[in-house]
Amino acid sequence: MRFHVVKRENCPLWKKLGMYALAVAAALVLGGCLLLAMGVNPLAYYGRMFTMGMVGNKIAYKAFENYLKVFAPLALTSVALSLAFRMRFWNIGGEGQFILGAVAAATVAFKLGPVVGEGLTLVLMCLAGMLAAGLYGLIAAALKVKFGTNETLMTLMLNYIALYFITFLEDTKADWNFYLDPTSVRPIFGRFANLASFPKIPIGKFGLNICVILTLVVGVLVFIYLKYTKQGYEIAVVGDSTGTAHYAGMKVGKIVLRTVFLSACLIGLAAAFKVGTAGILSTNITDDVGWTGIIVAWLSQLNTLAIFIVSALISMLHYGSDVAAATFSQVDSSFANMLQGAILFLVLAADFCTRFQVLPVKKEGKNNGNG
Amino acid sequence: MKKIFALILAMSMVLSLAACGGSEAPAESESQAAESQSQAESAAESESTAASDFKVGAIYINSKNDTAGYTFAHHNGITKAMEELGLDVNTQLVIQDEVLEDYDQVSTAVDTLVSEGCNIIFGISFGYMDAMADKAEEYPDVIFSHATGYKSNETNFNNYFGRIYQARYLAGIAAGLKSLELGNNNIGYVSAYGTQYAETCSGINGFTLGVQSVNPDATVYVKELGNWADEVNESAFAKELIDTYNCCVIAQHCDSAQPQIAAADAGVFGCGYNSDMTADAPTAHLTAPIWNWNVYYRTAIEAAMTCGGAENFVTAMGGPAYYGGLNEGFVDVSPLTENCDPNTQAIIDAVKALIASGEWDVFSGTKLTYTVNEDGTVTVNKTAGALVTNDGTEIVPADGPSVEDGVITGTMNYFVEGVKAA
Repeated sequence: MRFHVVKRENCPLWKKLGMYALAVAAALVLGGCLLLAMGVNPLAYYGRMFTMGMVGNKIAYKAFENYLKVFAPLALTSVALSLAFRMRFWNIGGEGQFILGAVAAATVAFKLGPVVGEGLTLVLMCLAGMLAAGLYGLIAAALKVKFGTNETLMTLMLNYIALYFITFLEDTKADWNFYLDPTSVRPIFGRFANLASFPKIPIGKFGLNICVILTLVVGVLVFIYLKYTKQGYEIAVVGDSTGTAHYAGMKVGKIVLRTVFLSACLIGLAAAFKVGTAGILSTNITDDVGWTGIIVAWLSQLNTLAIFIVSALISMLHYGSDVAAATFSQVDSSFANMLQGAILFLVLAADFCTRFQVLPVKKEGKNNGNG
Repeated sequence: MKKIFALILAMSMVLSLAACGGSEAPAESESQAAESQSQAESAAESESTAASDFKVGAIYINSKNDTAGYTFAHHNGITKAMEELGLDVNTQLVIQDEVLEDYDQVSTAVDTLVSEGCNIIFGISFGYMDAMADKAEEYPDVIFSHATGYKSNETNFNNYFGRIYQARYLAGIAAGLKSLELGNNNIGYVSAYGTQYAETCSGINGFTLGVQSVNPDATVYVKELGNWADEVNESAFAKELIDTYNCCVIAQHCDSAQPQIAAADAGVFGCGYNSDMTADAPTAHLTAPIWNWNVYYRTAIEAAMTCGGAENFVTAMGGPAYYGGLNEGFVDVSPLTENCDPNTQAIIDAVKALIASGEWDVFSGTKLTYTVNEDGTVTVNKTAGALVTNDGTEIVPADGPSVEDGVITGTMNYFVEGVKAA
C-alpha cells in the first residue's frame, strides 16, 4: 500500500485550534513523562509553572512585573520579525539588531541623559535604538536587493559581529569607554537608571511599566499597517510572488528595504525599552528574544494577534519554569527549553496536518505519473 | 472520526480553561497577597529563625546539576555546609541556576528566591553585583552575600573571597623544588587573564614568589587566554609553553584540567587549580591551590541563623568583606603527590605555620628561604628583601609591611620580578 500527501481544502478554524491544542497537550504529556522519570509529580510542577509561582506569594505583584519584563520584549521582537517574514525575508538577525539598538539607546542615556532631562532622553533613546537597529538590518537588505546575497546567512553572521562588539565594550577598560562603571577596577557595565528610566503606572503595589502599553500600541499599529494600508498590501504581494509584484508595477527592491528597515527598527525599539527599564547594558541583554521571536512568529503563523497570545504563553513557559525549578530541585531551568522545543515540533506537525492529509493511493486508481 | 474530533475539542476546552486559570492567577493572588502581607510581616517579626524554617537561596551562573567547574564547586560548598549545620538540602536550599550576568535576570531571580522565603541569598558571579546591591536595599529583611565582588552595605549585604594567593605561594614552592630537582629554571603558567584582573595578577605573583623562595633563578612564563574558560587554548598554550619555552612545570589559572593533561602528555609536571587535578594527570600533577567554599558558607549561614535579624549580619561577620585564607581553611593546597620533591611537605608545613602565626604574609618586604635539617625538619629563614616588579619598580621596601588587602583584591596590576609574559 502506498500513501500520498494531498492538500486539505479549507480546514475549519475550530479544527485547526483543536489540532494545536492537541499538540500542546501532547508536548506537556511528553514533558510529564520526563518529569516522572526525574521523580517529580508533573501536575505539581505544571501547576507551579503555569501559575508562575504567584499563588500564595506575598510579592506576587513583583512576580507579575518580572513576567511582563520577559513578555514585552519578546512580543515586540516577534511582531517586528513577522513583518519581514511576511515578505519571505528571513531576518535571523534579531539578536544583533537588538544588541545594536540597546547600545545606541544606552549611548543616548549616558551622553544626553545629564543634559536634556529624563523625558526627552527616553524619547531620544527610543529613536536612537530604532535608527541603529534599523540601519544594521538594512545592511543585509541592501546586499540582498543589490547583489542577491542570502539574507539568512547575512543576518545570522551580523548577529555575531554585534555580540562580539558588546562583549568588547564590556571587557575593555579605557578612557573612551563611558559604558563601564568608572568606580570599578574590574570592567563592568555602569548603571544609568538615575539618568533615564521608563516610568511605571502604579496600580496598587503593582507597577505597570509604560513600555508594556507602548508594546501593545505598536502591535495594534502593525496590525492596521499590514491589514489596511497600501504598504501592508505590498508586503503581502511581495511575499506571495515577487514576479507578481513586479508585474503590478511595484518596486520590489524599495519595498524590501523599507520593510526590513521597519522590522529592524521595531526590534531596536524593543531593545530601547529593555535597557531603558533595566538601566544598564549587559552582554545578555537580548534574553534570546531574537531567536525565540522566530519561533513565536512561526507558531503564530505571522498573525499579529496570535503573536501576542503565543508570546504570553512562551514567556509563561520560560518564567514559570524558572520559578518551578526553585521548588523542584531535580529539574533545572533547561527543562523549559526542552518543553518549548517539543511544543514547537508538535505544533508544526499539527500545522502540517491542518494543511495536508495523508491518503492511501487507491488500488484501482490509474497511475498515470512517472511511476 | 467524529469521536476523535470530539475528544480533541474536549481537550482543547480543558486546556483553554487551564490557560485562563493561569492568567487569572495574578489578579487573584494579588488580593491574597494583600491579605497575607500583614500576616507574613508579623510572622517575620516573631520568627526566631529556627533551624527548620531557615532557607538558603543561591543564584548560579551554570547548572546546579554540573559535575565540574565553578558552579559545581560552590554548590558542593553550600550543600556540604548545610549538611554540617543539620539543614535539609532538599527543602531548605532554593536555587535559581543558569542566571546570566544581566541586571534584569538577576533581579528576577532574587525576587523569586525572596518569595520562596529565603533568609540568605548567595550570588556566585561577579556580574550579579549591581542587582544584588540594589535588592539588598529593597529587601532589608533578607541577607545578601556576593562572591568575588566589592560592593556591600553595613547591614545585610557583604561580599566574600579568599586569599588564594597564599595557596598559590605554597604550590609555587612545590613547583620551584621540582624545577631545582630537574635542573630546569623555566616554569609555565596558563592564565585566564594577566594584569587586567587583580585576581589573576595576584595569583601569578603569589605563585612566582613561592617559586623563587626555593629557586631564585627560576622564571615564570605567563600565557594569557583572554577568557575564563577555553579548553582548546588551555591545552594549546600549555603545549606552547612546554615546546617553545622548555617549561618543566605548568601551573594554571583556568577552569579545566587541560594544561595538566598537556603536561602529562609531554612528560613534564604541573600544578592544577580549583580542585585536586591528580586524577586528570596522575603522572604530572604536583599539587593544586584549592578552594574550600564550604568553610565560608558554613560561617555565613551560621552567622545568618544566629545574628538575630538581617540588619546584624555584616556586624556578625566582622565586616562587609570576608577574606579568609589558609588560617580559616578557606584555601589550601591539595595533598601532595609522589611526583613532588621529598622535602616539599615539610617546607609547606613550615610556611603554613608561619602564616598562621600572623608574622608573615606573601606580599611583604620579607623573603623566606628554607634550610632542611638533618632530622627532616625545616628552618625558615627570614631576610629583608623589597617586593619589586619585573620592570624594577619597588612596591614594598625591604622589611616593609604587606601590601594591603584592597590592593590584592582590587588594584594589583603589576607582575613581580621573575614573571615574563610569553
